[in-house]
Amino acid sequence: MSYQFGVCTFCGTGCGHFLKTAGDVIEGVYPAEKHPVSKGRLCVRGWHIHELLRNSDRLTQPLIRVDDELVETSYENALSFLSDRIKKAKPDPVSDIGFLASPRSSNEEQYLLMRIARQVLGTGNISLDSEGWQQSSLEVINEGTGFPGMTGSAEEIDKTDFIMVVDFDITRQNPIIGSEIHLAAMAGTKVVTVDSRQTQIAKLSSDFLQVRPGSTEILMGALARIIIDEELVDLKKIKSSVSEYEQFKKAATKLELSAAIEKTGIEETVLRETARSLAKAESGMVFFPTGISGITPATVKMIFNLFLLAGKVGTPASGVNPVPGINNLQGGIDMGAVPNRLTGFQDVRDSKVIDKFQDAWGGEFCADPGQPIYELIKKHPKLLFVVDHDEGIIKNADDISKSDTVVYIGAYNNPFTKLADIVLPITPYVETAGTYTTTGRRVQLSTQKLKPTGGVKPGWEVLQMIAASQGHEWKYENPAEIMLEIASLTPNYKGISHDRLRSLIGGIQWPCNDEYPNGCKSFDSSKAKQVLKFVAVGNDPTPVEPTEDFPWLLMVGKAMHFWHQNNLMKKTFIPNREFNAELLLYPNGFVEVSREDAEKLEIRNGWNVNVVSPSGSVEVKVKVSGDVKSGTAYMPYFVKDMVSQFLLQHKQSLELGENASVPVRIEAIR
Amino acid sequence: MYLISKEDVKKIAFELAKDYDLHGPVKEDRSGQVFFQKAEDPASIDLGAAIPSNPAKQVIFPQLERIMKYRYDSQKKEAVVELDELTRPKALFGLRSCDLKGILCLDRFFLGQEFVDEFYLAHRNRLFIVTNTCTSPFPQCFCVCTDSGPYAVEGYDLNLTELENDFLVETGSEKGKKLVERLGLKKADPDKHEAEKKAVIDKSINSFDGTATDNKAWISRVTNRVTTGFITEENWEYIGNQCFECGACTFVCPSCSCFNVEDANVAEGETDRLRTWDSCSYEGYSRMAGDHNPRKPVEDRRNKRFFCKLSYSQSKKYLRPGCVGCGRCAWVCPGDIGLPNVVTYIRREITS
Repeated sequence: MSYQFGVCTFCGTGCGHFLKTAGDVIEGVYPAEKHPVSKGRLCVRGWHIHELLRNSDRLTQPLIRVDDELVETSYENALSFLSDRIKKAKPDPVSDIGFLASPRSSNEEQYLLMRIARQVLGTGNISLDSEGWQQSSLEVINEGTGFPGMTGSAEEIDKTDFIMVVDFDITRQNPIIGSEIHLAAMAGTKVVTVDSRQTQIAKLSSDFLQVRPGSTEILMGALARIIIDEELVDLKKIKSSVSEYEQFKKAATKLELSAAIEKTGIEETVLRETARSLAKAESGMVFFPTGISGITPATVKMIFNLFLLAGKVGTPASGVNPVPGINNLQGGIDMGAVPNRLTGFQDVRDSKVIDKFQDAWGGEFCADPGQPIYELIKKHPKLLFVVDHDEGIIKNADDISKSDTVVYIGAYNNPFTKLADIVLPITPYVETAGTYTTTGRRVQLSTQKLKPTGGVKPGWEVLQMIAASQGHEWKYENPAEIMLEIASLTPNYKGISHDRLRSLIGGIQWPCNDEYPNGCKSFDSSKAKQVLKFVAVGNDPTPVEPTEDFPWLLMVGKAMHFWHQNNLMKKTFIPNREFNAELLLYPNGFVEVSREDAEKLEIRNGWNVNVVSPSGSVEVKVKVSGDVKSGTAYMPYFVKDMVSQFLLQHKQSLELGENASVPVRIEAIR
Repeated sequence: MYLISKEDVKKIAFELAKDYDLHGPVKEDRSGQVFFQKAEDPASIDLGAAIPSNPAKQVIFPQLERIMKYRYDSQKKEAVVELDELTRPKALFGLRSCDLKGILCLDRFFLGQEFVDEFYLAHRNRLFIVTNTCTSPFPQCFCVCTDSGPYAVEGYDLNLTELENDFLVETGSEKGKKLVERLGLKKADPDKHEAEKKAVIDKSINSFDGTATDNKAWISRVTNRVTTGFITEENWEYIGNQCFECGACTFVCPSCSCFNVEDANVAEGETDRLRTWDSCSYEGYSRMAGDHNPRKPVEDRRNKRFFCKLSYSQSKKYLRPGCVGCGRCAWVCPGDIGLPNVVTYIRREITS
């Protein structure tokens, strides 16, 4: 068979595909009809993954930095070079060692990296790259339900009665989930999109609530308030079955409805209608993004509480669904590549858990919560491990270059190698086996399709060699053995093995254990480990307001054909051409303004303007658009200079993710 | 007209495998998904399988194909070009008539105009085609409305139709005749077996979805509309809003011919020049020098594709409608704008 089943590894959707192999190359890709989520569809990225896999810009030789030059060497030499560095530097595990894990690595590789951090080098300083707010979203859901994952399922979109899409350009970021939502809308499901900019899914929704930038949290609070005021749900039942109701009620009703209307810009009738359809629907789901421009933890808390109030948590075909942009971000968190958790979200400070891992690992390990990696990087740790850093523009590049020893482990050549002192090449995912966990908790096996190229070793072998060079002999024969160990230590993964996954198109959704022997489509509150709980929300949200000098609110977001900072897309042909076409048209980027504002400014489509903020300015072309409201503007980041020279000046406001907005002034250039 | 028993029909495939690289419908073990692909073992070909998920065009117009390689020496400023030699000729066994019609459209595009595409020609010249009358249409199928099925009338070397006990074998070329003679097939009774074949075809047509058979003008009235341009902008926008710009409709289409040429490795040393599938639904596809783009908005690009499939001027180019009615675009579209649905949206406008 020249078409072999596999899993697309671009985004968190985890679509099923077939790769066409001929000898030692990949020649094509085709969608898998029987995949339970993608059902025979792929997006523009998925349709070109064979072009990426054909790319020859690979790392093929281990490299070490000698006299400021990277020189080729063997794996053995590179590792003894590392050992010497460690011996000399004597790094303190608490403050001097850091691990930046990749949300693209397989579960097996994430797990081994975590084991190296915790057991071999004795540090909890491990975080996932591009993590954004996936973990914090899971912390919110876990606090309220004891279930650390999407509580619903993309597979059940066609069964639900109400869907809300929040601040999420989902047809661009996770197109196949977006497709399911669109098809549900076509079939009559109520779909409500909440966003400050009219995205494609907004156009395809039954209702579009174009909120003022930064007011999503207020909107969610207002909806909850209306449900309580109008008693749209059985409040007595909620009070008796969900804890912390009074506290939540107080928070949700603190803001007057009139104030919410003013701050969100949404009319009262629309708010009431939305609250009623959410509360009255038999089932309902909400989707929001969690990547680097995801929505903030405070908003996630409000969304969670709103859906819990509306009875859409733990009931059939319902769910609170955070969606990461990168394929194995969920898996990375599941594998404990985070500072405070071991596998399956087990608390690293839990003594029973510690005993279990010590028994399995045959010795002590660091069970202290670590520091978040980007905090640590600013302090220039002596030793920094980085896996498959997927970003063209490296945040904190200056800080990273000040670390003594940077070890880079990756398959493709990329800008990070310039900062590395030791480069250890690994194979791309098709040259080894591994499992990946989608946003829907779906653990899928990607089998080996090609032989490793030219002496390059798979990641799990390289990680094992690193452990061995530090005196830890692990002796895993293959990735399947690693998964057996993971399953034995992780209650949510208990029933998962490569053997079991091999025959399944679409894998198994965790938890897969005695309670859910065949996996779990959606969280069932009758099987919950705790009483459902409203999570505490913080202070009143205060959206950024425009000023007299800076009267526009600038939103920042993603551009078409520019996913995950483009490091992968630019290795393809067609999506890369599409990106270049955009770049040629807008070499310095563009800013979208409304027709009304364009008239006011006396500017036309394609003219240049200065976008001026309190801390900088940038000259870009104007795109006049019906997608933004008057008084707001939108700027996608896809031009390197624009990001590094302008947007990074606003790091603090941009850390608010999809809610981010910067007050600016737009000046016509005449 | 000849007969071959059902047990023996694969003998044709085994015979072809001696001289040709054999391709046909093969079921994938794990998922049961059917691919039209190279069959190392002729026995793996399944004539009763569902319509292959991929169009047979990929055999002669692959998703990604090296068309040459070259080595560039920057010191000497010298490039050495090497053309790949085609290996063995190819045989398509068990092709459905929709996929054959797709190849006939590609012929018109790659060979039928003043420019002849050498690479396509090299695949095409030596092709041996065995079609198989389609007896199991899918709900999305509408080849009866696009003059492309469920049976083949031209363009094959051999055509098979499954009768009660035997396969009827019709020859369409000298090559086909020779193969039949080599296998020593017994002659069919022209009257009796022709009638049996007709009964099989009628039964197949009756099993099509109602939309396709009740109203034969389903497609043709829309073709008229698309040609004359009497379709409101709002309707194109409604269609365009649903386009996810994935390109899938183009890739799965048996008659879509858009391609791109790229050098895989631009560094020093050996480089592959590749031809890849492309799609007119991509904005960059129609971008021209000086940033002009006649098809910038997505709805314009959608409109272009349907113009290519359903207009008289394009039909003149292909000598038939550009759409072959296989319905694959409806399977793979993340929007809801596979061609049958677009036809429905346009008809809705006509009737309202």
